[in-house]
Amino acid sequence: MEGLLTDAELVSRATAGSDAAFSRLVERHQAAVRGFLRRALGGGWAEADDVAQDAFLAAWRSLRSLRDPAGVRPWLCGIAWRKAQDRIRSSRRGAARDNVWLEMAETPAGVTQEDRLSMAAAMAELPPDVRACVALCLADGWSHGEASLALGLPLGTVKSHVARGRARLLKALGGSDDA
Amino acid sequence: MTPDQKLQALFAAEAPPARDYAFQARVAQRIALRRAWMTVAALAPWCIAGVAILWALIPVIGPLGDDMAALAPAAVMLAGVAVSAVAALQLARRFSAA
Repeated sequence: MEGLLTDAELVSRATAGSDAAFSRLVERHQAAVRGFLRRALGGGWAEADDVAQDAFLAAWRSLRSLRDPAGVRPWLCGIAWRKAQDRIRSSRRGAARDNVWLEMAETPAGVTQEDRLSMAAAMAELPPDVRACVALCLADGWSHGEASLALGLPLGTVKSHVARGRARLLKALGGSDDA
Repeated sequence: MTPDQKLQALFAAEAPPARDYAFQARVAQRIALRRAWMTVAALAPWCIAGVAILWALIPVIGPLGDDMAALAPAAVMLAGVAVSAVAALQLARRFSAA
């Protein structure tokens, strides 16, 4: 039944105390939030999943503060981003701290392990804000406006971060600097 | 493969599955734990209020004599049950999981 409901209806039910509705929201948006955190944190996937759990728990607590119930995904990613920033600040470790998971992960067809490591290193060298913009706009296909809303950054900043991040990543993968 | 295609392939490789019941279960478990702590926290003021009321009633009930003293444990238990029932009803309304 709840599978047919819109995000706004699920938010309304979850706010009224329905755990089933909130679970449906988790099911619907977990891939986006976890994917974003995997790229934005740049470390192991387990850490990204820990932060994602924290983010969903925080979202459950502050569901009433959601102004636009239809915009759950940007709101969730915004919470996830603030949690990720806390994690980055508290750990003070670079995103390249743990590359063991990279060696374990499957490499896509047509891409070498060296490409994967270069990409991970390039992502780790990007400032966290740039990484977050790249994760949302390049990897997940968000518009600059949506990313600006979710991350709380000015639109122009998001655009320049995406362009800068893309150029650096492409250069690491063998492209030209101005790609 | 162009660098752009490699970039997209590597991003796609990091994408989590569309459905992950283990992750959903972990989130649900943490929410249940948080709800349990909230229930305990909400119950505490009621317990304190119940104890305070009983303590305040001691001067009234005490002079009634030894017969009443014999009933004291039962009265305390009944009061405790009443307070718990009222608190449980309130909490059930507040945190009902539909």
